[in-house]
Amino acid sequence: MAKALKKITQLICMFTVAFVLFCPMTANAEEERSAIYVQVPEDWNEPCVWAWDEDGNNAFEAWPGGETEADEGNKGWYYIWIPSWANHVIVNANEGEVQTGELVLEGGNVWITIEDPENAEVSYEALTEGDIPEYVERFEIHVSVPDSWKTPCLWAWSAPDGTNVFEAWPGEALKVGEDGWYTGKAPTWVNSVIINANEGSVQTEDISIDPAELWVTVEEDGSYEFSYDDPDAVSAPDINVNVMAPADWEAPCLWAWSAPDGTNVFASWPGEAFTEGEDGWLTLAVPGWINSVIINGNEGSVQTTDISVETGKDIWLVVAGPEEYELSYEKPNGVTADTGEETEVSETEDGEAQPDAGQESDAMTVQTEESGVSTGVIVLIVVVCIVIVALAVYFVTKKKKS
Amino acid sequence: MKRIIALLVSVTMLATLLCGCGTQAQSLTEEEKNTIVIWHDKEEAVSEALLGELQKLVPDVTVQLEYKSNLTEALKMVGNDPKAAPDMYFFAHDKIGVYAEMGILSPITDLIDRQTLDDAYVPMTLEAATYDGKLYQLPVYFETLLFMYNRLYMADENVPETTEQLYAYMEEKTRGGHYGFVEQHSTAYYSAGWIHGFGGYIMDGNGNVGLNMPETIAALEYHKKFVELMPGESEYATVNTLFQEGKAHATIGGPWLVSASRAAGMDLGIAAMPIVDESQIPISPYMGVQGVQVLKHAAENKTEAVKKVLNALMQPDVGITLAKVSGCAPAVEACYESEEVTADDVVMAMRETAENTIPMPNRPEMDIMWTVAADMLVNINMSGQDVVTSCEAAQKNAEELIRKMQ
Repeated sequence: MAKALKKITQLICMFTVAFVLFCPMTANAEEERSAIYVQVPEDWNEPCVWAWDEDGNNAFEAWPGGETEADEGNKGWYYIWIPSWANHVIVNANEGEVQTGELVLEGGNVWITIEDPENAEVSYEALTEGDIPEYVERFEIHVSVPDSWKTPCLWAWSAPDGTNVFEAWPGEALKVGEDGWYTGKAPTWVNSVIINANEGSVQTEDISIDPAELWVTVEEDGSYEFSYDDPDAVSAPDINVNVMAPADWEAPCLWAWSAPDGTNVFASWPGEAFTEGEDGWLTLAVPGWINSVIINGNEGSVQTTDISVETGKDIWLVVAGPEEYELSYEKPNGVTADTGEETEVSETEDGEAQPDAGQESDAMTVQTEESGVSTGVIVLIVVVCIVIVALAVYFVTKKKKS
Repeated sequence: MKRIIALLVSVTMLATLLCGCGTQAQSLTEEEKNTIVIWHDKEEAVSEALLGELQKLVPDVTVQLEYKSNLTEALKMVGNDPKAAPDMYFFAHDKIGVYAEMGILSPITDLIDRQTLDDAYVPMTLEAATYDGKLYQLPVYFETLLFMYNRLYMADENVPETTEQLYAYMEEKTRGGHYGFVEQHSTAYYSAGWIHGFGGYIMDGNGNVGLNMPETIAALEYHKKFVELMPGESEYATVNTLFQEGKAHATIGGPWLVSASRAAGMDLGIAAMPIVDESQIPISPYMGVQGVQVLKHAAENKTEAVKKVLNALMQPDVGITLAKVSGCAPAVEACYESEEVTADDVVMAMRETAENTIPMPNRPEMDIMWTVAADMLVNINMSGQDVVTSCEAAQKNAEELIRKMQ
């Protein structure tokens, strides 16, 4: 029962992870959107909109939410496009320091007039003139510059047609965040940027990019490096992988990586050999960001299937065969090199979808043998029964005769 | 003498009685004759659509669809036992050889006239379903890998037409944690497309192993430079997630990737496979044909009901419905007269790509080849071993394992 519960819990966890991975509830480019217009008090600077639905799905990743843009044709009005499913909003400003209460919307485009935090009026009739500016998908560009680069700006365009985002050089000033990174936004049709500063007197060369959130680190001489992954993302401390491998797996090695990005710890298969640990455990330290391992032996010719593990936790693995292993995050009691082989492997997982030749062949052989044995046994039983009955009839008859 | 004769008669009668217990009772009731059990491993949408169509087209036959997660192994264990085995199973064509060798399958041509089949089906689907000269599957739909790209990054006019253009694109775009192109480079199913593009093969239709062919070696030598611009790990989840999360511009993937990518908001493009510059042959992936196989006992004892089900499955409406829910291409030619089908860019891309695909070998030895080829690819692509040495070793290993299997 406990095993069944464990399995069910694992399944639920797997489905939850899959759901989280594949069903992000933040906005994506294709979904239906509604325009939110806001008119705010004069001392409300850089108004933002925080939006969500009844199920608690947020339209934006973090408070204070999406930044509005000033509508040049309607002075005092700001607008933002939000996903249509997000029908609860809070309008805020001054980096979230002032805000309205929760406003529940009926759907469609809305115009919100805010007198103060307590008084906001929602209208579904247009209160602005002219067309609502079209929704433009944007992505963030984060920039780190040397101290001598003052007021860094972003210049962005589409190559090779040369369409510029900003009207004039040096482009738009980037806003500095608490972490020291400057950030700006560009439409997703942009594929080229230049980072410049000191009123455009220092700059990088043209940087060809994908329209996706990126981090650019600029050096004093204008050289740069960029990454689509946050270089300041917290790196997890090392973890220990402890293993009991089958006795006939010589020189067991560890292959470890991070899924789904595919970052490997080791340069080439079969990975790195374990060292002898305590109580007969083989052990190896690897970066804490790994979430997948394979244990292999005999120079990689035998191996487990892919084993998913939780990041940042030491693991203990008792491997009984390619597809049989027991995984735990605490050292199992009483398991040593001597007992490891006798450990009942209760938690097995299926292998990869690719057919395993050895297994297929074995299964076929087993099937043939089983069929043969069972048929043979039946025939044997029948023959023995016949002989016994025949002999009994013969002797009874003979006895009566005598 | 009389007693000996009596004894022999008794023994014979007893033997007959006892032996009767071990064989299948062939006298099925009318209800049993009209009940067809079909095993499958498909998602619910496909099985529901299949059942719905069959209930509509053959209301006088009771069709029971049973999901089997481990269908192939289960069939091996009970395929010979009519009491436990299904009457048919719905699965890919590549396991036909295994079950044909076990003697549990009935040729489809015993139930449906060959000419009728030839007239109705996309020829390559019948070719794929043929083992040892006999047709063992009634094809329903087929699938093949497709060249897919994210239009946010790769404009339609920039889609590479040749492998060298693809390589140049990868060189330019692979940086900062984004990839110009990703694929499951060390999985035999995916690598086969490159090998075929050079005129090589993993195993041909006659069971010949082609891992050390000059064409195969040339393909793998050439492919290595592409692998160097892809992530080290290349299993299914990694590759698909990189593409779906916008970290890769293009990929070669199956139709199953289409709906998930579109659901994630991607403007997905599908294009023809790049042509290998050296051979002028496109990357030519395997084609898998999903269809129905009939077990021998059902063909013999439930002939009429089986024929009715097979005839129903040949109706274009069934092909269209199943192709729609599976995202695959119908096997019946007449389906392509339907606007529903021709309007589907994925299905039509598959139909077009299929012109250059190779049916997945359906020989039992192929089970060995998947593993041997995968090990070889890992040695070449991930361990950096010499291509020729790895191919020669894999060839030898495969031949040895096949010999043992036989």
